[in-house]
Amino acid sequence: MQRRFTTLLIPVLALLLVAACSSGSDDGSTGSGADATFEFWSFTGINQKADVERYTKAHPDRKVKLTEVGSTAETAQALTTALAGGKVPDLALVQADDLPKFMQTPDNFVDLASLGADAMKGDYLDWVIAQSSTGDGRIFGIPTDVGGLAVAYRTDLFEAAGLPTNRDEVSKLWPTWEAFIETGKRYVQATGKSFLDNAPTSIYFQVVNQGAERYYDNTTHKPSYDQNPQVKTAFDLTLTTIAANITAKQNTFSSGWTAGLGKGDFAVVSAPSWMLKSIRLNAPATEGKWDVATIPGGAGNWGGSFLVIPKRAKHPKAAWDYIAAMQSPAGQLEQFLTTGSLPTTPSVYTDQRLLDKKDSFFSDAPTGKIFTESVRNLKPFHFGPEDGTIGTEFLNVLTSVEQGKVAPDKAWSTSMSNVKNAIRG
Amino acid sequence: MRRPYASGRRTPREVTAVTTMLPAAADVRPSPSRTRAMRLPVRERLAPYAYVAPFFLLFAVFGLFPLLFTFYVALFDWNPIGEHTFTGMANFTRLVEDPRFWGALRNTVSIWVLSTVPQLLLALGVAHLLNHARLRAAAFFRMSVLVPYITSVAATTIVFAQLFDRDYGMLNWLLGLLGFDHIEFSASVLGSHLMIAAMVIWRWTGYNTLLYLAALQAVPQEVYEAASVDGAGGWRQLRHITIPALRPIIVFTVVTSTIGGLQIFTEPLLLDPTASMTCGAARQCQTLTLFLYEQGFGRFHFGYGAAIGVALFVMVVLAATVNYLLATRIRAERP
Repeated sequence: MQRRFTTLLIPVLALLLVAACSSGSDDGSTGSGADATFEFWSFTGINQKADVERYTKAHPDRKVKLTEVGSTAETAQALTTALAGGKVPDLALVQADDLPKFMQTPDNFVDLASLGADAMKGDYLDWVIAQSSTGDGRIFGIPTDVGGLAVAYRTDLFEAAGLPTNRDEVSKLWPTWEAFIETGKRYVQATGKSFLDNAPTSIYFQVVNQGAERYYDNTTHKPSYDQNPQVKTAFDLTLTTIAANITAKQNTFSSGWTAGLGKGDFAVVSAPSWMLKSIRLNAPATEGKWDVATIPGGAGNWGGSFLVIPKRAKHPKAAWDYIAAMQSPAGQLEQFLTTGSLPTTPSVYTDQRLLDKKDSFFSDAPTGKIFTESVRNLKPFHFGPEDGTIGTEFLNVLTSVEQGKVAPDKAWSTSMSNVKNAIRG
Repeated sequence: MRRPYASGRRTPREVTAVTTMLPAAADVRPSPSRTRAMRLPVRERLAPYAYVAPFFLLFAVFGLFPLLFTFYVALFDWNPIGEHTFTGMANFTRLVEDPRFWGALRNTVSIWVLSTVPQLLLALGVAHLLNHARLRAAAFFRMSVLVPYITSVAATTIVFAQLFDRDYGMLNWLLGLLGFDHIEFSASVLGSHLMIAAMVIWRWTGYNTLLYLAALQAVPQEVYEAASVDGAGGWRQLRHITIPALRPIIVFTVVTSTIGGLQIFTEPLLLDPTASMTCGAARQCQTLTLFLYEQGFGRFHFGYGAAIGVALFVMVVLAATVNYLLATRIRAERP
């Protein structure tokens, strides 16, 4: 869901772009050795270019043809279209919510265990690598990053509202989500301005990702969104937040949200690790006015991505070499230090360089320390094929409630019928 | 087109035009030329078909085949990268039961009415004004009405979405100045439909204006002058000269904008980037084509998407038939 919001290109244009790029790619295979060049499809907004540049600098004999297809959803669409009968890339980045769909038809991809992923699989957080593995030991994707949870807040606005500004004290303000909402009320009372950007993304999508189970039962692998108490808790907490009237009602990544971020229309945004990049990008003038506190309610993860190699890829070996070099624990640590993507390899979580990493945009917050804490003790939950769809339907109903278009007491039953209808086929 | 003028008088210029046309037309008809054609060698008789063949070949590949293939796919549970299971009419029965489909149909019809009616009326008025004899810099004004049409749809949509924005949009700024509360246009059904209708009107009015203007140019200015002399004002001239003269072209524009209206896609897709495939959280402005796109290319239910396509096809054919029947009736009713 999350990065799916990123810059929206017209998908058709994106496809054309892909077609245009792939048609001219033959020069690679005629170069120095068949496996020196490979094609890589990524999505926009996560600065994959920096990684590729790092790789080609270290391996001057290799060439990577990187295409930033579009948003995460558009990239998954382009990949599906290519798998269905077009020219496939040698390597593709797939967002965690799109992965289960592809895992339904694993035969479209190379089993990475055969290329050496078997030996590496212990390097990764077990609950992450589990998402791209099948029960019989085959591995179809290598996780590149995870999205640990935290809260970003404006120190200048907190000060004006008479709230503490130090990140440890702020974290202590909200051990629970209820306390978080109370803090919001205090802020609104003091300033007359909104506390939070919106409830559906900043509350629902955080809380629902803090549970031990989400939309599917961990043992039966059947949809259980209608019975899982964690989903209902997250849903009701969102309704409470909306009723408290502390949000600016700006959908995450909408133009109003982007404008509000810069103008200080709201003081708090729930921020999985990848969100920091969006804040930095969309509100560059607010540098130094932000800080990062821990999230109420404990550990959780939202997002992350996987690298996959399509079965029909022309240069699977070159693509694998890239994965092996870049997604090793050392590679992911380097990646975190340059682009801020949170590693999926717990062995580096205690590395001094990660712990010492400070982000000047966010008042020198130790982001490595804050975010790794939220993913370290997570229990794995089962991802089902319709996870993305179910999440979107819940989010849409809650957004409608926030916009005043759906009555709060009808929200749950509306969600149930919408989800049921959406996943019927 | 024979007697489009209320006056019924035939102007001298038209009479000469008809008489000079006649001999030329008469030349083509007699049988000698026809028999000459019969004597042509096979190759030359086939030549015209060869000349038009490229279009039909391209149409067969990019038009007819996808059309027929869509009918075929609609009978399957079709995963583009997985299995294809024959399910017969299941996709269609599901479609009839799907509230999202009926919602999309409602949105499509509503946006079509809200955009087509004002757009054609506006085009008619503007064409009438642009055709005025005393208009200065006529070419400049006539060309400038086409500018919105050649502007990219994506750019238009993004600009309009900002104009209508809740907090920082110009429209809400004006409402605020006048003392009204801000309106979140994109969140409501009517508001989002009006937004899209405004974009469609903005884009297509100029195009239809030029069509009307071209037809109006065929009406001699003398008719208007005569009407003025007889004491008919601008409004009566519009009613009794302009509109009757434009009847066939009006029918044409209604048909094209109906077909276009049923296929509105880019505007709703780009209206709300945070829920692009549904055009908002409550699918408040998701059109049929956008619903098709969501199911086919967002969710990869190719079979279901194809079924929506078939339903859309049937609707376009129905709309075209109704239009055609209306058009022939209008033609028959002419004085």
